[in-house]
Amino acid sequence: MSPELESDTVADPNYDDEFDAIVVGAGLAGSAAALTMANRGLEVLMIERGSSPGAKNVFGGVLYTPTIRELTDFENAPVERYVAERRFSMLTENDETAFSLRPGEWHEEPHNDSYTVLRGEFDEWFAEQAVEEGATLLTSTTVTGLLREDGRIAGVETDRPDGTIRAPYVVLAEGGNSLVSEGANLKATETRENVAVGVKEVLEFPERDGVIEDRFRLTDDAGVSYHYFGEGAVGDAFGGGFIYTNDDTVSVGVAYRIEDAATHDQSPEETLNAFKSHPAVAPLVRNARTVEYSAKTIPEGGADSIPDLVHDGAAIVGDAAGLVLNNGVHLEGTNMAVESGYHAGNAIARAAENGRVGAEALQVYPEALEESFVVQNLEHYKWMMDAVEEDRDLLFEDLPRAFADAGTEYFRIDRTPKESHAKNAKRAVLDAVGGWTGAAKLALRYRKVVT
Amino acid sequence: MSVQPQTPDLDNDSMEDRLYTVKYDDPGDSHLDVKVTDVCAECETNDCVRVCPANVWREGDDGVPHIAYENCLECSSCRFACTYDNVVWTYPERGAGMTYKHG
Repeated sequence: MSPELESDTVADPNYDDEFDAIVVGAGLAGSAAALTMANRGLEVLMIERGSSPGAKNVFGGVLYTPTIRELTDFENAPVERYVAERRFSMLTENDETAFSLRPGEWHEEPHNDSYTVLRGEFDEWFAEQAVEEGATLLTSTTVTGLLREDGRIAGVETDRPDGTIRAPYVVLAEGGNSLVSEGANLKATETRENVAVGVKEVLEFPERDGVIEDRFRLTDDAGVSYHYFGEGAVGDAFGGGFIYTNDDTVSVGVAYRIEDAATHDQSPEETLNAFKSHPAVAPLVRNARTVEYSAKTIPEGGADSIPDLVHDGAAIVGDAAGLVLNNGVHLEGTNMAVESGYHAGNAIARAAENGRVGAEALQVYPEALEESFVVQNLEHYKWMMDAVEEDRDLLFEDLPRAFADAGTEYFRIDRTPKESHAKNAKRAVLDAVGGWTGAAKLALRYRKVVT
Repeated sequence: MSVQPQTPDLDNDSMEDRLYTVKYDDPGDSHLDVKVTDVCAECETNDCVRVCPANVWREGDDGVPHIAYENCLECSSCRFACTYDNVVWTYPERGAGMTYKHG
């Protein structure tokens, strides 16, 4: 029943009323939804505005894969490296104090379900999985609005010659710049306090082979995820820097709140340059050639920013639904995108089997998401953004400096007894946090980050 | 406190070279605009200019920003940054605009 998948077929087939569901956007959330629905026998049309899936997409770089593994055969997925080391680094202007983990278990399959990925290749592969299950993919096609009939969403308007495409269900997987959802009043535009701007470079090292393995102490397919906080990462802005190793490139970037970008003189590009020039970062990224420069916005409003996920005839998934977790330690989004696409796809398949289209028929999607790690995690860290905002000077400037000073003092080699160094080190930290009382308050406030 | 560290010099690409790494297909018309030019003329902060990672938004002589839309990486930061909600942002159509190879 479904037409050919190419967008540039001579006939430009008419897709109107040919499908059970339309998915707007063939990113990870959209393809997960399409794959789930196709698996359950629905005729699915995926509409992607880029020339191929992933063409308009970028992320930092680590994909967490438990749900994708459930949805499809992950064996041949185009991953870059598995994450063998995670490193958390506090940077002052000149110092680095870091905490690093390399558990032996991460070297073993399934590698803690954590892989660096480049989206151009990966998103194309994931969309292909949906196509192999019977979904139809239409690229270079922009959804310009939603079609309403009898008060409910009944399809999409596109920039194709024949324009309107009707279908009983629409999945909005358009990403953080969700013009279609906002244009149809399905969600409000997020405030700039709750959206981050991210800029990233993909670097290659032309001087010789093995540079990445040598610099990051890697063999075979092992890779690293390095996160950086503090003044040396993004100045006094709320955010951080990152380095991820790909197969033969390195992704380096910064992300911080648009509110801060708008009130600082330093542009995102200059912030990236400053981060790359930090004494602890520059040796890792030097003598490189930039093979790609990219930018994106990241919805970081957390649980409170999730819009109504279902409407009559439509569901919102992924970044468009604000499903991103950033609590300083965990930076996750693509796994939540896939999980939401999966639950939305299931809900629509069930509603279709029962011949129902109203929002209440799709209610199992938000219900399943509430029960899943997605909303559970977002709820768990809901308090955090406000707390961090309140303590930002302490967390991003004073504390990194105190730890650097304390470390320098604690390990100082001279002819003074170590006890006095330890005392000085302790004082450096206690001064920064406001004595033992301050330390206790701080520990109490942030205990939920790790527990 | 700390001494000047041994930091290797980095040769960062210029913005122009960085943008050259991204494939671009000109849609012909700008997908960006401002709603009311008077609002821009009265705006003193030019947040669109400050947040743009691709030098699309530039301060104009009359206080209304010049928009070099062909630089755009389609990140949408300008749309969120403008406190007057004065940015017109539409998706470039028929696959036009920028294309990432890596992403």
